[in-house]
Amino acid sequence: MTDYTLLYILFAPFVGAIALIFVSNRQAMLVRGIAAGSAFVSLIASLYLFYAYDHVKGGFQFVQKFEWSHQLGISLHLGVDGIGTPLVLASGILLFAGIFVSWHIKDRTKEFYIWLLILAAATIGVFMSLDLFFLFFFYEMSVIPMYLLLGMWGSHTKKYNEMTDPAGLKQRDSVGFIFNFGANSKEYAAMKLVLFLSAFAVAALMGILLIYKFAGLSTFDILVLREQAKLMNIPVLGTTLDKIIWILIFFGFASIAPLWPLHSWSPVGHAAAPAATSMLHAGVLMKLGHFSIIRVAFEILPETTRELMPIAAVLCMFSIVYGGFVAFFAKDTKYVIGYSSSSHMGYVFLGMAALDYISLTGAVMYMFAHAMATGMLFAMAGWVYDQTHTRDIPSLGGLSNRMPFISGCFVIACMASIGVPGTVNFIAEVMIIVGSWNKYPLQVIVAVVGIVLTLAYLFKMMRGLFYGPMDQKYSHAHDAVAVTDRLPLLIMITVSVGFFFFPMHLYNVVRSGVDPLIAKIIRVVPVASQDRETLSVKREAQTSGVPNQPQDVFDHASRDTLHASRGKE
Amino acid sequence: MTFALTISPSDLLLLLPEILLTLWLCLILIIDFSFPRLRNEQLAFFSIAGLAATLGCLAWFDIADITGSLFGNMFVLDGMALFFKMFIVGSTILVVLSSIDFIHRFKFFRGEFYFLVVMSALGMMFMASANDLLSVFVALEFSTLGLYVLVSYLREDMASNEAGVKFFILGIFAAALLAYGISLVYGETGKLVFSDMTSAQATPGLAIGFLLIFAALGFKIGAVPFHSWIPDTYHGSPTPVTAFLSIAPKGAAFAILLRMFFVSLATFKPVWILLLVATSILSMTYGNIVAIAQKNMKRLLAYSGIAQIGNVLIGLATGTKMGSDAMLFYLLTYLFANLGAFAVVIAVSEAIGSDEINDYSGLGRRSPFLAFSMLIFLLSLAGVPPLAGFIGKLYIFVAAVKEGLYLLITVGLINVVISMYYYLIVVKKMYVTEPHDRSPLKVSGSIKAVVYVCLAGTLAIGIYPQPVTDWVVSAIMMFSQLADPTASLPVPPAVVPFGG
Repeated sequence: MTDYTLLYILFAPFVGAIALIFVSNRQAMLVRGIAAGSAFVSLIASLYLFYAYDHVKGGFQFVQKFEWSHQLGISLHLGVDGIGTPLVLASGILLFAGIFVSWHIKDRTKEFYIWLLILAAATIGVFMSLDLFFLFFFYEMSVIPMYLLLGMWGSHTKKYNEMTDPAGLKQRDSVGFIFNFGANSKEYAAMKLVLFLSAFAVAALMGILLIYKFAGLSTFDILVLREQAKLMNIPVLGTTLDKIIWILIFFGFASIAPLWPLHSWSPVGHAAAPAATSMLHAGVLMKLGHFSIIRVAFEILPETTRELMPIAAVLCMFSIVYGGFVAFFAKDTKYVIGYSSSSHMGYVFLGMAALDYISLTGAVMYMFAHAMATGMLFAMAGWVYDQTHTRDIPSLGGLSNRMPFISGCFVIACMASIGVPGTVNFIAEVMIIVGSWNKYPLQVIVAVVGIVLTLAYLFKMMRGLFYGPMDQKYSHAHDAVAVTDRLPLLIMITVSVGFFFFPMHLYNVVRSGVDPLIAKIIRVVPVASQDRETLSVKREAQTSGVPNQPQDVFDHASRDTLHASRGKE
Repeated sequence: MTFALTISPSDLLLLLPEILLTLWLCLILIIDFSFPRLRNEQLAFFSIAGLAATLGCLAWFDIADITGSLFGNMFVLDGMALFFKMFIVGSTILVVLSSIDFIHRFKFFRGEFYFLVVMSALGMMFMASANDLLSVFVALEFSTLGLYVLVSYLREDMASNEAGVKFFILGIFAAALLAYGISLVYGETGKLVFSDMTSAQATPGLAIGFLLIFAALGFKIGAVPFHSWIPDTYHGSPTPVTAFLSIAPKGAAFAILLRMFFVSLATFKPVWILLLVATSILSMTYGNIVAIAQKNMKRLLAYSGIAQIGNVLIGLATGTKMGSDAMLFYLLTYLFANLGAFAVVIAVSEAIGSDEINDYSGLGRRSPFLAFSMLIFLLSLAGVPPLAGFIGKLYIFVAAVKEGLYLLITVGLINVVISMYYYLIVVKKMYVTEPHDRSPLKVSGSIKAVVYVCLAGTLAIGIYPQPVTDWVVSAIMMFSQLADPTASLPVPPAVVPFGG
C-alpha cells in the first residue's frame, strides 16, 4: 500500500507544468529541460509499473485511496489492472517522445509544454482511475488543453489557405460544419473537437449519474459498484434502465474512440494539431474511449454488455472500411494518418465486441501497439511539415534523398501500422482476427480487407512523400540528425519491435486483466430467462470459483455464442 | 401585532456585524466630508478595513456557533444567514478593491461611492437574516436604493443613465409586486413570519401572493421571465458596480428564496418544484443561447449570469438538504469565477478602454497573466475540471439526480455544452487571434490582488472541495428535516389553483 508509483506517474507532469509557470520563456533550454525531466520521471515510473505488475496475482494493483468528498461519495481511488498498465506505459512513452518531437517550437514554448503536460497527465489519470467521478474528471480535463494546443500551435489546411477570394472567404468556415470537406481552419477544428467531445461526454456523465442514482450506494467507486450495483430489470420508457445507461455510456465514450459515425471531429483535429499533440491524441487520447467503455460498461453492466455489444460489431465494419477509403483518397498527410487511426480503432472495437479472451487481449495489445505506430507516423508527418511547410502529398516527393533517416523510419512505421510481422501490431491483429472469427466471420473478412487498404494508402503516401521527383523548392529540407530529433523515433521503434520479440510479459499482463472481465461477462446467465434464486446461486458459485480457469469457459461460451450468431446472420 | 422591544446586551451581540458596519458607514461619510483632499485609495482601504472587521466578526460567530433570533423572529442569525453574510461582505471587499482603478472615471462624489456600496451591502446583510415578509421588504428596498444610484454613477455617460432608468423602473415595479404579494399573503394567513406559515391552506389568494413575491425575487436574481433589465444594466453600469450586482444581491435573494420555499412552503413542494423547474430551464436555455450572439464582454457575462442562475435554481428545485448545500456551494464557486472575470474586464478596459470581445484579441501575448486568469475564470464558469465550477455543477446535478429531476439534468447538461462554445470564443480571441497592437498591458496592484484571490478560490475549491462542502453542509443544518427523503414529502397537497 505504500507504493506511490501511480502518484509519481500521475503527478510528475502536473508538477512539471506548475514549475514551468515560474520559468521565463527566454530560457528555452530550461523550459525544455523541465518538461523532459518531468516526462522522464513519469516514463521511468510507468516502466517500473509495467514490469512490477504481478500478472499471476492479477486484479487491481498499486491501489491508492484518498477520501476526497464524503458528501458526494468520491475518493481519489487509483489503481491499475492488466488493461490499464500497458496504456499507462504507452502514455508515458508518447509523452516523453512528444516532448522531443516538439523540441523546435519557438512560439510560446513554455505554454506549449504546460498544456502538453497537462493533457498527458489527464490522460494517464483516466487509465488509473477506479472512481467514476475521477474517470470523468480526468476525461474532461484532457479536452480543454487540446483546444489550446490546436488553436495556438496548430495549422490551417491547405484548401483553407487557398480560399482567399471573397466567395471563398465566406465559405471558409461555413463549409462542412457537419461534413468535413477538408477546408478548415485550426480554430474550427479545435472548436469542433471540444464541442463534439463535450457533447458526448455529458451523455456519458448522464449515464454515470444514473448509475449513481439507481445503484443507491451513494458512491462513485467502480469496485463497489461492480460488486453491488443492481441495475438490471428496472423498466423505463418501454425498455430497461440498464440498456439506457449502457447506450449513454457506450456512445458517450465511443465518440472519442472514434467509432463511425461519431468520428468526424477526429481527422479534422489531427490535421490541425501540432505533431506532438497529434501523437498523444491518436496514440492515447482515442484509447480513452475504449478504455472507459471497458472500465465502466464492461465492469458495471456485464450482462447488458453481452446483450448490446453487437452494436459495436456492426459499426466497427463501417469504421474500418470508411476510414480506409477516405485515407486512400486523402491528399493531406495528416488526414491520411488521421483517417487511418480512426479506421484502425475499428479493429479494437471488433476485438471488444467479440467478448472473447483472445480477441479482447488482442484489442488491448492493439491499443498499445497502435499508439507506437501512429505516434511514429505523426512524428514524421510533423517533421516533414516543419521542413517543407506543406502537408499536401501531390506537391511533395523525393524527400528520401534529403532525409534518409526519416524515410527509413517511415518504412518501419508503415509496416508497424499495417501489422507486418516484426512489430507488435502483428501479434495484436492476429489475436483480434483469430479471437473474433468464431463469432463475427463477416467482420473479420472486412478487417482483413482493411489491412489491405492500410497497405495501399500507407504505401501510396510513402511513395508520394519520399520517392519520385523532388520539387527544388524543398531542397533546403534536411534530415533529423540531432540526438533529440532521432530519440523519439528510436524509442517508439524499439518498443514496437521489441514487444514483437518479447511479447510474453505484455500478453500475460493484459490477459490477467482480461480474464476476470470476460469470465464475468460470458458466465453470467441472462437475467430475463432466470428467476432470482438460481441467479444468486450462480453468482455465489462464480465468486467462489477461481477466475483463472478460462479454458473450459472459453470453449463452452464460444460454442454457445457461435450458434447464437449463426442464427442472426 | 406588538413587539416587546427589550433588547439585552446578548441580543445586541447578534447584531454586532450590522452595528459595526453601520458605524463604519457613518465614519466613511464623516471622513469623506472632513478631509476632501483625501485620496480615493485611502478611503477605499478604510472601507475595506471596516468590511474586513465585519467579516472577521462573522467568521467568529460561525466558529463559535453564535446563533439566535431577534424582534419576534423578524431577524434570525443561523448558519445560513452567516454564510450569506460572509458571502456578501466577502464579495463587497473584492468589489471595493477592484473599483480603486475605476474610480477616476467618476467626475463627482467619489467618496460617496464607497458609502453607497457598503450601504447596499448592509441592506443585503439584513436580507440574509430576514425571516419575516416585512423585514424582507424593508431590507430589499434598502439595499436596492443604493444600487439605483450606483448603476447610474457615470453621470455623463448615456448608457449608464439608461441602465439606471431601466433598473429603477423595473426595480420599483418589482417592489410594487412584492408589496402586493405580501399584502395578499398576510390577508390570507394573518402571519408574516416565514416559519409561522407552514400550516397555511392552499387558497388562490395565497398562491397569487407567493407567485408575486417569487416574481419580485426573480427580478433580483435575474431568472428568465424577469431578466429583462439585466443585459442593459450590466452593460451600462460602471464595471465594479456590475460585478457587485452580479453577485451580492443574488446571494441575498437566494437566502430569502430558501427560507420561503423550504420553510413556509415546504408542504407545497410538489407544486413549486414545477415552477422552479420551468424557471430554471428557461433561464439556462435563454441565457446560454443569447450569450452566443454577444459582442461585448459585459453583456456576455450578463447572459452567462442568467444561465448560471438557472443552474443555481436546479439546486433550489430539488427541495432537499443536499440541493440547498449544492446551491450554496455553487454560489461560492460563482462568486470567485465571476468576480475574477469582472476584475479582468476592469483591468483590460483600464488599459485599452474597451469592453468589446474583439478588443481582447491577442490578450495572451499582451498580458499572459490577465489572459490566463480570464481563461481559468471562464472555464470555471463553463464547468471544466479541475476548477471550482465543475464541482459546483456536479454537486447540483448529483443532488438533482437523487430527486429524479431527469429533464432538468438533461437540459442542464446540454447547456453546459452550449456555454462551452461562447466561453471558448473569448478564449480563441485571447489566445489564437493575433493582436493589432502588441504593447503589453499594465495591471495595477489592487486588481492583481483581486485576481489572485479569485484564482486561489477557483483552483483550491476545484482541487480539494472537502472543507467548503463541510462548511455549506453545516451552514444548512436548519433544513436537516429535509435530509431524510421520507420526511421531505409530507402529505400530498390539496388541489392547488395555480396549475403548475
